[in-house]
Amino acid sequence: MTGISQMRLLGGLSVLVLLLCTASLLIGPAGFSISDSLTALFTGTGDAVSLVMQEIRLPRALLAIMVGFSLGLSGAALQGYLRNPLAEPGLIGVSSSAALGAVITLQTGIAAQMMIVLPFFGLVGAAIAVVLLLLLAGPRGGSLTLILAGIAISALAGALTSLVLNLSPNPFATSEIVFWMLGSLADRSFSHIWIALPFMALGWVLILSTARGLDTLILGEDAAASLGINLGVLRWVLVAGVAACTGAATSVVGAIGFVGLVVPHILRPFVGAQPSRLLPASALGGAALVLAADIAARLILPDRDLKLGVVMAIIGAPIFLHLIYRTRRAEL
Amino acid sequence: MTTPSSPPCLSLLDLSVYRGECPVVDHVSITIQAGELVGLIGPNGAGKTSLMRGALGLLPHQGHSSLTALRADLRAKAVAWLPQNREIAWPVSVETLVMLGRVPHLAAGQMPQQNDRTAVAHALAAMDLTGFEKRPATALSGGEQARVLMARALAQDCPLIMADEPVAGLDPRHQIATLAYLRDLTRQGKAALVSLHDLGLAARFCDRLILMDHGQKRADGAPKNVLTEAHLRQVFGITAHVTTSDQGLIFQALEVVR
Repeated sequence: MTGISQMRLLGGLSVLVLLLCTASLLIGPAGFSISDSLTALFTGTGDAVSLVMQEIRLPRALLAIMVGFSLGLSGAALQGYLRNPLAEPGLIGVSSSAALGAVITLQTGIAAQMMIVLPFFGLVGAAIAVVLLLLLAGPRGGSLTLILAGIAISALAGALTSLVLNLSPNPFATSEIVFWMLGSLADRSFSHIWIALPFMALGWVLILSTARGLDTLILGEDAAASLGINLGVLRWVLVAGVAACTGAATSVVGAIGFVGLVVPHILRPFVGAQPSRLLPASALGGAALVLAADIAARLILPDRDLKLGVVMAIIGAPIFLHLIYRTRRAEL
Repeated sequence: MTTPSSPPCLSLLDLSVYRGECPVVDHVSITIQAGELVGLIGPNGAGKTSLMRGALGLLPHQGHSSLTALRADLRAKAVAWLPQNREIAWPVSVETLVMLGRVPHLAAGQMPQQNDRTAVAHALAAMDLTGFEKRPATALSGGEQARVLMARALAQDCPLIMADEPVAGLDPRHQIATLAYLRDLTRQGKAALVSLHDLGLAARFCDRLILMDHGQKRADGAPKNVLTEAHLRQVFGITAHVTTSDQGLIFQALEVVR
């Protein structure tokens, strides 16, 4: 019974992602016709149209899906684990550390050497954050120590990022850093996809494996443990999964907020609030939201290179305010 | 009904639980056989909850517990645990919540089967919750939530149920119904260990009472042998009127000892 409506929800969201993906492929400054674009996408004639479609628009759309999927899934998982609807992927400090790693390559100029340098250092930053989390929160600590450790790491990474900005050698580096931190899907290639995909895929598998454990946590940690769930293992599988997802996402597109916060919140009523069912729904919802925001970024101000992170915040904040308003009304 | 040769549902040997240097459970040994409804009584801070959590392996402990000797997945089929804090984190339906009790019986990735749904329906009926299936559990009253959580533990369908104050906050009808249902279960060969503050209910429904005081087991036996004047005065600091009637043991607390 509930299984069918879950299938319907996931089917509906998948269709939405496909539609938005198609729209994303058809929008761009080059202004090709729809039939030309689609023909060029599937036939490698090597002309300008197929180059634009296959090397610029396709990776952009695919990356939007991957990043949205990762952030939506991570947000749903963290909210489920912490049993708190305000949790979001940035909470454990991995995304700010990945941003720090990336920013250092821009400041020192080594990012200009090779495309791969920036995302690679982003991933290194994310990995360092995970090691710090392990050291700070310990192998057995509860969810509270995890949050505190995450906040501490976020604060430290944020401070160091400010320091890097402060010490940037010239105004160009500064503006490059600031624009990168706003987050964008522009000018991404298949190389970015191949860097991020293994980590993201690993993260997806790890997070989805925690589904049943997250359900039992509805009853609290004691009851979950008595139902045979190893909470220590659950916690680190989840942290590793979220870190892989958000670390990889931040490394390739910069910091994109609100997806992991808003999407689980919107979709929770549709899955009967069950964390395990929210995971796939939120992942697909995240993909749809990032695609939509990226389309909006290109449609609203086509000439100004509007940044995805900015659009997302502009879309996300009012949605969030509306949700708060609705929650307040429900509580009255 | 119980043959002496069958292994006990719970055996604790010299179990100790420490909070820092201080023992909150001090070398307690307990054996519970199938067919027994055992009440765990004692004043606040006597170590009732710590004893049960230690026995379940939820607190670091010393000594032997037959439950912690089991692998976690087998333990989840040997004992159902109902904690004292009644946590329901998300507004899931009552049915979904009670179905969580079936998690130990499902293989990885397996969807609930017909027998799981039957167990959930039985548990809901036992706790007088039929018709509540689709309601969000968080929208129920405190007492109703307590019954839903009890139903979750019942749906787990284990030989032993350990419940920490399962009737606190319930109305009289459901207090009696819950304990009567647990007693029926034990008559069918299961066992239950429940901590209780209502000594009247403990006297009336339990086959055996274990009296805890300052982390130690002070008494263990039939209710009338545990609820003695001396125990009540020394451990609880109260006097009470205790009589045996044709309805069983009747306990009424009277005054605080000065």
